[in-house]
Amino acid sequence: MKTLAQTIVAILILCAPVIGYPEGVEMRRVALTLSEDGRILLDADIKFHLNDTVSEALENGVPLTFETHVQLRRASAWVWESDVVEHRLRTVLRYRPLSGMYELRNLVGDERLSFATRDAALRTLGNIVAMPIIERKQLDLDEDYLVRIDVGLDIEALPLPMRPMAYIKRDWSISSEPWEWRLRP
Amino acid sequence: MNKRRFDVAAAAMLVVLLLASLHMISAAVQRSEELGQWFIPLLLFTLVGLVLLFGLVGWNLWQLLRDYRLRVAGSRLSARLTVLFLVLALVPVSVVYFYSMRFLSSGIDSWFDLQVDSAMEDALTLSKLSLDLHKRERLKLSENLLSSIEDTSQTAMALSVNDMRASSGALEITLFSVQGKVLALSHANPDILLPTAPDSGMVQQVVAGDNYVGVASGPDGRLLVRCLVLDKARRGIVLQALYPVPEALSDISSSLQDAYETYRTRAYMRSQIKFSFALSLSMVLLLGLFAAAWAAVFTARRLVQPISDIAEGTRAVAEGNYDKQLPLPKVEDELGFLVSSFNAMTRRIAHARNALEEGRHKLQAQHNYLETVLGGLSTGVMALDGQGRIQTANRAAEQILGVPVGDLAGERLQELGRHRESLQPFVDRVIEGFEKGVHEGRAEITLYRGVGRQVLLCRHSPLETDPGVATGHVLVFDDVTELLKAQRDAAWGEVARRLAHEIKNPLTPIQLSAERLRRKYLGKLPPEDAEVLDRATHTIVQQVEAMKTMVNDFSDYAKPSKLQVKPLQVDQFLGEVVALYEGGTQRVVTDLHAAGLTIEADPVRLRQVMHNLLKNAVEAGGEQGHIVVSSRIGEEGGNDFVEIAVTDNGPGFDPDLIDQVFEPYVTSKTKGTGLGLAIVKRIVAEHGGWVHAENPDEGGGRVVLHLPGLVLGAEQQLPLLAGMAGEGGGA
Repeated sequence: MKTLAQTIVAILILCAPVIGYPEGVEMRRVALTLSEDGRILLDADIKFHLNDTVSEALENGVPLTFETHVQLRRASAWVWESDVVEHRLRTVLRYRPLSGMYELRNLVGDERLSFATRDAALRTLGNIVAMPIIERKQLDLDEDYLVRIDVGLDIEALPLPMRPMAYIKRDWSISSEPWEWRLRP
Repeated sequence: MNKRRFDVAAAAMLVVLLLASLHMISAAVQRSEELGQWFIPLLLFTLVGLVLLFGLVGWNLWQLLRDYRLRVAGSRLSARLTVLFLVLALVPVSVVYFYSMRFLSSGIDSWFDLQVDSAMEDALTLSKLSLDLHKRERLKLSENLLSSIEDTSQTAMALSVNDMRASSGALEITLFSVQGKVLALSHANPDILLPTAPDSGMVQQVVAGDNYVGVASGPDGRLLVRCLVLDKARRGIVLQALYPVPEALSDISSSLQDAYETYRTRAYMRSQIKFSFALSLSMVLLLGLFAAAWAAVFTARRLVQPISDIAEGTRAVAEGNYDKQLPLPKVEDELGFLVSSFNAMTRRIAHARNALEEGRHKLQAQHNYLETVLGGLSTGVMALDGQGRIQTANRAAEQILGVPVGDLAGERLQELGRHRESLQPFVDRVIEGFEKGVHEGRAEITLYRGVGRQVLLCRHSPLETDPGVATGHVLVFDDVTELLKAQRDAAWGEVARRLAHEIKNPLTPIQLSAERLRRKYLGKLPPEDAEVLDRATHTIVQQVEAMKTMVNDFSDYAKPSKLQVKPLQVDQFLGEVVALYEGGTQRVVTDLHAAGLTIEADPVRLRQVMHNLLKNAVEAGGEQGHIVVSSRIGEEGGNDFVEIAVTDNGPGFDPDLIDQVFEPYVTSKTKGTGLGLAIVKRIVAEHGGWVHAENPDEGGGRVVLHLPGLVLGAEQQLPLLAGMAGEGGGA
């Protein structure tokens, strides 16, 4: 009966619009720089803080996928206009019980990094250095652009049985306030 | 498509969509790698669909409850059937759900029992121990390699790391300073120019004097042993070596690690897995329940619909609506038979009702026809029932009796006598006829009423609704007063004509003979005899003259008149007549108020009327007579008439004779023929008027004539009226 009650409560909660509470991710520093070869590069220092629920899941072998979403679009663009450029940097953090190490795996390049501590892994995860965004010459120099960055845990990448509760429980809503500013190339 | 069909189609579509969605959720759970991204949208879609279905069911149940409260036909049976169906559906579904949840819960729990937990932990420990042995060997090897470096120059170290890597079988060997600066690097892949950087924690551990050895995953997923050793000779050099774990050991360890991870994750997600299954199962249950509830309401309504229709139809028939036809159910079952029988019954009732209505219409038409005919009759007709109660009476009956007989319907005939005392003889005679048991009767009844003597010719006959069965009486009566009067007048006219004819002829010879006797013997006889002869012949001549006058009067009365009508100014005419009487001892004055009114009249005959009336008035008034001739204009039924009155100050009319003064030989005078007023009446009648006598309250007598005024077309009407009156008079 308890399960049924939980189910009904879950159904009722799911009926309400899902509201994300931005917490657990802090953007300490975000910078765009122009390289010597004319590329615009992103540097960011992002601090991740995992609460007990997420930490417990990580320790129990649940892989956590973090996504850094970078968008660049014209400032005067209509809603339906596509972005000038869009990058999704997806990285999986997981705990390896055999080695007792934390492993970061970049889903784009399939690069793996192992860390003895979780903090070391999260530091590396939040440290974005010279990530190429776009070449300057590709932009209209007379146009203003908006750059938007948001970082968060991808609930859809969690194991399927966890997703409903992850959508309902606030602990799993780990995301940053979107970082947005105007760029004049 | 009607509303009900649309509802059914929409509900069926919703149920099908929800079933498809649940099936896809099931597929997404089983093949989460491929379909996992559809899980949450499908879940939301299913939940929204269930809410919609719940709303649909709720709406149907609410309608059913509302009908039940309003006692709509069939709602109680529908409600009972719905509850029955719901219970039938709910009980097995609930049992299945309950046990499914229990089996699910215990089934999932059984995946993670203590033995499996322990075995997994043991396997991992075993793998760790195996790796630890390998790690220790590699650590020892790394320490030896670092100790073997004698020359710490940059070039020597670059050369020696290559040798060390080659001799040790390492994948990568790097020499760092304790500050982290790379002093030398050798990698199995010469393209790689950067070392695999250790994390800061490892470095701190080594710098603190505790060499580090650990296992990490290589780029290809193969396990590597990472060793970080500090130079014991305190030269500030740190060696990092990455050794590939033997392939067999790596594969087994990786496989074991993956299995352990999977197991651990599942164990951790045990409650979430249960929740997911419970959610799916609950949604299936809810879909089943809602679909069953909706189907229960729908089926109950559909089953009860023909019965509701029959109940509604029965109520309509009870209220008199016999045209009610019920829709036939599509399925030919007992209910269909019942509905078709009901329809046949109402058709027959409607047919009978129509026939009855038609008969009633015919009866009403006949009744109206009879009433119109009876209303048009001048003969009074009354229908009485067996007890002598008035049933119906026509207009003529009311006019003749002067009582609204129609209002007395249902009353006994005796009520007429109580209503008007003068009708008592009529009532008595009729009842007498009934009581005698005379089948058919005929009687002449004389009534004395305010309007004068009234003679009714009355007949009664039995009222037979069926041949030979009398249920009442029909009373037919005519007012024959005027008829009798006319007959009498005609008889008198005939008498007068014959008298005039028979008497007038010998009168002239008598007169001539008397005059001859007088002429021949008056001079020859002695004076005494001559005086006797003179007196006698004078008397004969005088009386013959008087008889001639009387006979002329008779002749005038009896003579069929031929009017010479022309327009006549009434007041002017009356003035001329009255002027002849001026200078006498009596005062004759006029009071004329009909100036301007013209009548169509024969001036000679009308002058005779006025002379007769004035003569009577003069005789009645005597020496001190005061006679007033008056005129005024009246209006009746939209037509003008003139009323001429001759009033005297004499003794007035004998009240006993006042109704008969216009009949021949009715007079209170010692002299005269008694024809003066009779002639007046006749002439006035010939002019389309009427005359009556009255005694005014102030004394004296008065004769009043009414003559019609000249109206459009009067020229055509008057001769006609005159002709009719003349013919009547002549008869």
